Amino acid sequence: MRSVAGGVALLTLGLTSCQVDGGEGYVEIKAVPASAAVPLYLDQVKLEPLRNGNALLRRKSGTTKLETGLDASKLAPLCTIEVRKNRITSVTVSATGSVARCQCGRSSGAQTGPERTCIG
Amino acid sequence: MITSALSAGCIHRAWFAAALLALVAAAAPGALFAQAEPKAAPELRTADDEFSRQLNELKQTFSDLSKKFQDSAQSIDRLESAEAARNEIEELRGHVGRLLGAVADNGTVWSLGVKALSRAEEKLKSLEQETRYKPEDKAFLIERWRELKVATESAIRELEGARRDFADLLRRLQTSEDFIDELLQIREHQRALEVIHGLTDGIRDASEKLKKLLGTIKTPGA
Repeated sequence: MRSVAGGVALLTLGLTSCQVDGGEGYVEIKAVPASAAVPLYLDQVKLEPLRNGNALLRRKSGTTKLETGLDASKLAPLCTIEVRKNRITSVTVSATGSVARCQCGRSSGAQTGPERTCIG
Repeated sequence: MITSALSAGCIHRAWFAAALLALVAAAAPGALFAQAEPKAAPELRTADDEFSRQLNELKQTFSDLSKKFQDSAQSIDRLESAEAARNEIEELRGHVGRLLGAVADNGTVWSLGVKALSRAEEKLKSLEQETRYKPEDKAFLIERWRELKVATESAIRELEGARRDFADLLRRLQTSEDFIDELLQIREHQRALEVIHGLTDGIRDASEKLKKLLGTIKTPGA
Protein backbone atom coordinates (compact mmCIF):
# COMPACT_ATOMS: atom_id res chain seq x y z
CA MET A 1 0.00 0.00 0.00
CA ARG A 2 2.87 2.30 0.91
CA SER A 3 4.49 1.65 -2.46
CA VAL A 4 1.29 2.56 -4.24
CA ALA A 5 1.10 5.83 -2.33
CA GLY A 6 4.71 6.44 -3.30
CA GLY A 7 3.85 5.82 -6.93
CA VAL A 8 0.95 8.23 -6.79
CA ALA A 9 3.20 10.83 -5.19
CA LEU A 10 5.75 10.32 -7.96
CA LEU A 11 3.11 10.70 -10.63
CA THR A 12 1.80 13.83 -8.99
CA LEU A 13 5.30 15.23 -8.75
CA GLY A 14 5.99 14.33 -12.37
CA LEU A 15 2.85 16.09 -13.52
CA THR A 16 2.94 19.13 -11.28
CA SER A 17 6.57 19.89 -12.02
CA CYS A 18 5.46 20.18 -15.64
CA GLN A 19 3.64 23.40 -15.22
CA VAL A 20 5.41 25.94 -17.34
CA ASP A 21 2.31 27.89 -16.51
CA GLY A 22 2.08 31.60 -16.97
CA GLY A 23 -1.63 31.38 -16.23
CA GLU A 24 -4.45 32.58 -18.43
CA GLY A 25 -5.61 35.93 -19.65
CA TYR A 26 -8.31 37.32 -21.93
CA VAL A 27 -8.60 38.61 -25.46
CA GLU A 28 -11.46 40.95 -26.20
CA ILE A 29 -12.25 41.36 -29.88
CA LYS A 30 -14.62 44.02 -31.13
CA ALA A 31 -15.71 44.32 -34.73
CA VAL A 32 -16.47 47.69 -36.27
CA PRO A 33 -19.13 47.85 -37.52
CA ALA A 34 -20.68 45.29 -35.18
CA SER A 35 -22.49 43.69 -38.09
CA ALA A 36 -19.28 43.03 -40.02
CA ALA A 37 -18.95 39.33 -40.75
CA VAL A 38 -15.16 39.05 -40.82
CA PRO A 39 -13.92 35.46 -40.53
CA LEU A 40 -11.34 35.54 -37.74
CA TYR A 41 -8.73 33.01 -36.67
CA LEU A 42 -6.62 32.84 -33.53
CA ASP A 43 -3.52 30.73 -34.13
CA GLN A 44 -5.23 29.28 -37.21
CA VAL A 45 -8.32 28.17 -35.29
CA LYS A 46 -11.48 29.73 -36.66
CA LEU A 47 -13.56 31.71 -34.19
CA GLU A 48 -17.32 31.46 -33.93
CA PRO A 49 -19.02 34.50 -35.50
CA LEU A 50 -18.90 37.39 -33.03
CA ARG A 51 -22.10 37.93 -31.03
CA ASN A 52 -23.15 41.56 -31.41
CA GLY A 53 -19.71 42.27 -32.80
CA ASN A 54 -18.02 41.28 -29.57
CA ALA A 55 -16.11 38.31 -28.18
CA LEU A 56 -14.23 37.68 -24.98
CA LEU A 57 -11.95 34.67 -25.07
CA ARG A 58 -9.89 33.01 -22.40
CA ARG A 59 -6.40 32.15 -23.65
CA LYS A 60 -3.19 30.76 -22.21
CA SER A 61 -0.63 33.47 -21.53
CA GLY A 62 1.71 34.06 -24.42
CA THR A 63 1.42 35.41 -27.92
CA THR A 64 -1.26 34.51 -30.39
CA LYS A 65 -1.78 35.53 -34.02
CA LEU A 66 -5.02 37.09 -35.17
CA GLU A 67 -5.70 36.38 -38.84
CA THR A 68 -8.50 36.66 -41.34
CA GLY A 69 -9.43 34.91 -44.56
CA LEU A 70 -12.21 33.09 -46.30
CA ASP A 71 -10.01 30.09 -46.88
CA ALA A 72 -8.18 28.61 -43.87
CA SER A 73 -5.21 27.76 -46.06
CA LYS A 74 -4.73 31.38 -47.14
CA LEU A 75 -4.90 33.50 -44.03
CA ALA A 76 -3.87 37.14 -43.90
CA PRO A 77 -2.27 38.27 -40.63
CA LEU A 78 -4.02 41.12 -38.81
CA CYS A 79 -1.82 41.47 -35.74
CA THR A 80 -0.15 39.64 -32.89
CA ILE A 81 -1.83 39.59 -29.49
CA GLU A 82 0.09 39.25 -26.27
CA VAL A 83 -1.96 37.60 -23.54
CA ARG A 84 -0.87 38.17 -19.96
CA LYS A 85 -2.04 36.50 -16.79
CA ASN A 86 -5.39 37.86 -15.53
CA ARG A 87 -5.30 40.78 -17.93
CA ILE A 88 -7.41 41.72 -20.93
CA THR A 89 -5.91 42.58 -24.28
CA SER A 90 -8.39 44.54 -26.34
CA VAL A 91 -8.38 44.47 -30.11
CA THR A 92 -10.73 46.17 -32.55
CA VAL A 93 -11.10 44.69 -36.00
CA SER A 94 -12.13 47.43 -38.33
CA ALA A 95 -13.87 46.28 -41.47
CA THR A 96 -14.98 49.63 -42.82
CA GLY A 97 -12.76 49.52 -45.90
CA SER A 98 -12.12 46.68 -48.31
CA VAL A 99 -9.43 45.21 -46.05
CA ALA A 100 -9.92 44.31 -42.39
CA ARG A 101 -7.48 46.00 -40.04
CA CYS A 102 -6.51 45.45 -36.44
CA GLN A 103 -6.39 48.30 -33.93
CA CYS A 104 -4.85 47.69 -30.55
CA GLY A 105 -6.28 49.10 -27.33
CA ARG A 106 -2.63 49.30 -26.32
CA SER A 107 0.33 48.26 -28.41
CA SER A 108 3.99 47.60 -27.85
CA GLY A 109 6.57 49.28 -30.04
CA ALA A 110 5.92 51.41 -33.04
CA GLN A 111 5.15 48.71 -35.58
CA THR A 112 2.19 49.19 -37.85
CA GLY A 113 -0.04 46.93 -39.92
CA PRO A 114 0.07 43.18 -39.31
CA GLU A 115 3.43 43.59 -37.57
CA ARG A 116 1.90 45.35 -34.60
CA THR A 117 1.55 43.60 -31.26
CA CYS A 118 -1.40 44.35 -29.02
CA ILE A 119 -0.74 44.09 -25.30
CA GLY A 120 -2.99 44.06 -22.26
CA MET B 1 12.42 27.54 -27.67
CA ILE B 2 12.94 27.57 -23.90
CA THR B 3 9.31 26.65 -23.40
CA SER B 4 9.53 23.73 -25.77
CA ALA B 5 12.73 22.52 -24.12
CA LEU B 6 11.05 22.76 -20.72
CA SER B 7 7.97 20.99 -22.01
CA ALA B 8 10.11 18.16 -23.39
CA GLY B 9 11.76 17.80 -19.98
CA CYS B 10 8.37 17.80 -18.30
CA ILE B 11 6.97 15.19 -20.63
CA HIS B 12 9.93 12.94 -19.84
CA ARG B 13 9.43 13.42 -16.10
CA ALA B 14 5.72 12.71 -16.34
CA TRP B 15 6.33 9.59 -18.45
CA PHE B 16 8.97 8.40 -16.02
CA ALA B 17 6.60 8.88 -13.08
CA ALA B 18 3.73 7.20 -14.94
CA ALA B 19 5.95 4.25 -15.86
CA LEU B 20 7.00 3.87 -12.20
CA LEU B 21 3.38 3.99 -11.12
CA ALA B 22 2.47 1.33 -13.69
CA LEU B 23 5.26 -0.91 -12.34
CA VAL B 24 4.09 -0.43 -8.76
CA ALA B 25 0.48 -1.10 -9.69
CA ALA B 26 1.46 -4.24 -11.61
CA ALA B 27 3.45 -5.51 -8.63
CA ALA B 28 0.47 -5.15 -6.30
CA PRO B 29 -2.49 -6.21 -8.42
CA GLY B 30 -5.78 -4.93 -7.19
CA ALA B 31 -4.20 -2.88 -4.45
CA LEU B 32 -4.67 0.46 -6.16
CA PHE B 33 -8.43 0.12 -6.48
CA ALA B 34 -9.02 -2.41 -3.72
CA GLN B 35 -10.85 0.05 -1.50
CA ALA B 36 -12.85 1.69 -4.24
CA GLU B 37 -16.57 1.00 -4.13
CA PRO B 38 -17.97 -0.22 -7.42
CA LYS B 39 -19.67 2.86 -8.85
CA ALA B 40 -22.90 2.98 -10.75
CA ALA B 41 -22.74 4.30 -14.32
CA PRO B 42 -22.65 8.10 -14.21
CA GLU B 43 -26.02 9.69 -14.62
CA LEU B 44 -26.53 10.95 -18.11
CA ARG B 45 -26.67 14.73 -17.83
CA THR B 46 -28.14 16.91 -20.50
CA ALA B 47 -26.72 20.30 -21.43
CA ASP B 48 -29.51 22.11 -19.57
CA ASP B 49 -28.98 20.07 -16.37
CA GLU B 50 -25.28 20.74 -16.50
CA PHE B 51 -25.84 24.43 -17.26
CA SER B 52 -28.12 24.75 -14.22
CA ARG B 53 -25.61 22.95 -12.01
CA GLN B 54 -22.69 25.10 -13.18
CA LEU B 55 -24.79 28.24 -12.90
CA ASN B 56 -25.58 27.41 -9.28
CA GLU B 57 -21.90 26.90 -8.60
CA LEU B 58 -21.12 30.23 -10.26
CA LYS B 59 -23.74 31.95 -8.11
CA GLN B 60 -22.00 30.58 -5.04
CA THR B 61 -18.76 32.08 -6.39
CA PHE B 62 -20.55 35.43 -6.85
CA SER B 63 -21.59 35.36 -3.26
CA ASP B 64 -18.08 34.53 -2.00
CA LEU B 65 -16.45 37.12 -4.23
CA SER B 66 -18.90 39.84 -3.30
CA LYS B 67 -17.74 39.43 0.30
CA LYS B 68 -14.09 39.28 -0.77
CA PHE B 69 -14.48 42.53 -2.78
CA GLN B 70 -16.00 44.28 0.25
CA ASP B 71 -13.11 43.13 2.44
CA SER B 72 -10.61 44.13 -0.20
CA ALA B 73 -12.10 47.62 -0.56
CA GLN B 74 -11.88 48.05 3.22
CA SER B 75 -8.29 46.91 3.44
CA ILE B 76 -7.23 49.03 0.44
CA ASP B 77 -8.81 52.03 2.16
CA ARG B 78 -6.61 51.41 5.20
CA LEU B 79 -3.38 50.62 3.38
CA GLU B 80 -0.61 53.12 3.61
CA SER B 81 1.93 51.33 1.51
CA ALA B 82 1.56 51.57 -2.26
CA GLU B 83 3.40 48.28 -2.76
CA ALA B 84 1.02 46.39 -0.49
CA ALA B 85 -1.97 47.92 -2.25
CA ARG B 86 -0.49 46.96 -5.60
CA ASN B 87 -0.35 43.34 -4.40
CA GLU B 88 -3.96 43.59 -3.29
CA ILE B 89 -4.96 44.80 -6.76
CA GLU B 90 -3.06 41.94 -8.35
CA GLU B 91 -4.96 39.50 -6.14
CA LEU B 92 -8.24 41.14 -7.10
CA ARG B 93 -7.38 40.74 -10.77
CA GLY B 94 -7.02 37.04 -10.09
CA HIS B 95 -10.54 36.87 -8.63
CA VAL B 96 -12.11 38.91 -11.43
CA GLY B 97 -10.18 36.82 -13.95
CA ARG B 98 -11.70 33.62 -12.56
CA LEU B 99 -15.19 35.06 -12.89
CA LEU B 100 -14.51 36.06 -16.46
CA GLY B 101 -13.15 32.59 -17.13
CA ALA B 102 -16.60 31.13 -16.55
CA VAL B 103 -18.51 33.63 -18.67
CA ALA B 104 -16.01 34.09 -21.52
CA ASP B 105 -17.15 32.83 -24.94
CA ASN B 106 -15.05 29.73 -24.48
CA GLY B 107 -15.76 29.52 -20.72
CA THR B 108 -17.54 26.56 -19.13
CA VAL B 109 -20.77 28.21 -18.01
CA TRP B 110 -21.21 30.25 -21.15
CA SER B 111 -20.60 27.28 -23.47
CA LEU B 112 -23.08 25.17 -21.51
CA GLY B 113 -25.65 27.97 -21.67
CA VAL B 114 -25.34 28.17 -25.44
CA LYS B 115 -25.63 24.37 -25.70
CA ALA B 116 -28.66 24.32 -23.39
CA LEU B 117 -30.33 26.99 -25.49
CA SER B 118 -29.77 25.15 -28.73
CA ARG B 119 -31.08 21.93 -27.12
CA ALA B 120 -34.27 23.74 -26.07
CA GLU B 121 -34.68 25.09 -29.61
CA GLU B 122 -34.17 21.65 -31.13
CA LYS B 123 -36.61 20.06 -28.68
CA LEU B 124 -39.25 22.66 -29.53
CA LYS B 125 -38.81 22.02 -33.24
CA SER B 126 -39.05 18.27 -32.88
CA LEU B 127 -42.04 18.44 -30.49
CA GLU B 128 -43.92 20.66 -32.88
CA GLN B 129 -43.59 17.95 -35.53
CA GLU B 130 -44.50 15.17 -33.08
CA THR B 131 -47.68 13.29 -33.98
CA ARG B 132 -47.71 10.42 -31.47
CA TYR B 133 -48.95 12.34 -28.40
CA LYS B 134 -52.41 13.63 -27.55
CA PRO B 135 -52.71 17.36 -28.40
CA GLU B 136 -52.95 18.37 -24.72
CA ASP B 137 -49.87 16.28 -23.81
CA LYS B 138 -47.94 17.75 -26.72
CA ALA B 139 -49.02 21.27 -25.71
CA PHE B 140 -47.88 20.61 -22.15
CA LEU B 141 -44.41 19.48 -23.29
CA ILE B 142 -44.06 22.42 -25.68
CA GLU B 143 -45.06 24.88 -22.96
CA ARG B 144 -42.50 23.47 -20.52
CA TRP B 145 -39.71 23.61 -23.11
CA ARG B 146 -40.72 27.17 -24.02
CA GLU B 147 -40.43 28.16 -20.36
CA LEU B 148 -37.03 26.49 -20.16
CA LYS B 149 -35.87 28.29 -23.32
CA VAL B 150 -37.01 31.69 -22.01
CA ALA B 151 -35.29 31.06 -18.65
CA THR B 152 -32.07 29.99 -20.38
CA GLU B 153 -32.11 33.05 -22.64
CA SER B 154 -32.62 35.26 -19.63
CA ALA B 155 -29.72 33.62 -17.72
CA ILE B 156 -27.49 34.05 -20.78
CA ARG B 157 -28.41 37.75 -20.99
CA GLU B 158 -27.51 38.21 -17.32
CA LEU B 159 -24.21 36.44 -17.86
CA GLU B 160 -23.51 38.68 -20.83
CA GLY B 161 -24.07 41.73 -18.61
CA ALA B 162 -21.81 40.23 -15.94
CA ARG B 163 -19.13 39.63 -18.54
CA ARG B 164 -19.26 43.27 -19.65
CA ASP B 165 -19.09 44.56 -16.06
CA PHE B 166 -16.22 42.31 -15.05
CA ALA B 167 -14.26 42.94 -18.23
CA ASP B 168 -14.57 46.68 -17.45
CA LEU B 169 -13.47 46.11 -13.85
CA LEU B 170 -10.49 44.01 -14.91
CA ARG B 171 -9.48 46.69 -17.42
CA ARG B 172 -9.77 49.35 -14.73
CA LEU B 173 -7.69 47.32 -12.28
CA GLN B 174 -4.94 46.63 -14.79
CA THR B 175 -4.79 50.25 -15.92
CA SER B 176 -4.60 51.46 -12.31
CA GLU B 177 -1.93 48.90 -11.54
CA ASP B 178 0.15 50.11 -14.49
CA PHE B 179 -0.31 53.74 -13.45
CA ILE B 180 0.70 52.91 -9.88
CA ASP B 181 3.81 51.17 -11.23
CA GLU B 182 4.68 54.28 -13.21
CA LEU B 183 4.18 56.47 -10.13
CA LEU B 184 6.32 54.18 -7.99
CA GLN B 185 9.10 54.36 -10.57
CA ILE B 186 9.26 58.11 -10.03
CA ARG B 187 8.78 57.70 -6.26
CA GLU B 188 5.39 59.36 -6.18
CA HIS B 189 4.12 57.17 -3.34
CA GLN B 190 1.51 59.61 -2.11
CA ARG B 191 -0.04 60.01 -5.56
CA ALA B 192 0.00 56.23 -5.99
CA LEU B 193 -1.92 55.87 -2.73
CA GLU B 194 -4.51 58.37 -3.95
CA VAL B 195 -5.03 56.30 -7.12
CA ILE B 196 -5.41 53.18 -5.02
CA HIS B 197 -7.92 54.73 -2.67
CA GLY B 198 -9.84 56.02 -5.69
CA LEU B 199 -10.29 52.42 -6.79
CA THR B 200 -12.26 51.35 -3.76
CA ASP B 201 -15.52 52.80 -5.12
CA GLY B 202 -15.19 50.67 -8.24
CA ILE B 203 -14.50 47.58 -6.15
CA ARG B 204 -17.47 48.23 -3.86
CA ASP B 205 -19.59 48.78 -6.96
CA ALA B 206 -18.46 45.39 -8.29
CA SER B 207 -19.43 43.80 -5.00
CA GLU B 208 -22.90 45.35 -5.25
CA LYS B 209 -23.27 44.17 -8.84
CA LEU B 210 -22.40 40.64 -7.78
CA LYS B 211 -25.04 40.76 -5.05
CA LYS B 212 -27.59 42.03 -7.57
CA LEU B 213 -26.67 39.29 -10.02
CA LEU B 214 -27.28 36.70 -7.35
CA GLY B 215 -30.85 37.93 -7.14
CA THR B 216 -31.47 38.31 -10.87
CA ILE B 217 -29.93 35.20 -12.40
CA LYS B 218 -32.52 32.47 -12.20
CA THR B 219 -31.47 28.90 -12.69
CA PRO B 220 -33.46 27.51 -15.65
CA GLY B 221 -35.77 24.68 -14.61
CA ALA B 222 -35.44 25.46 -10.91
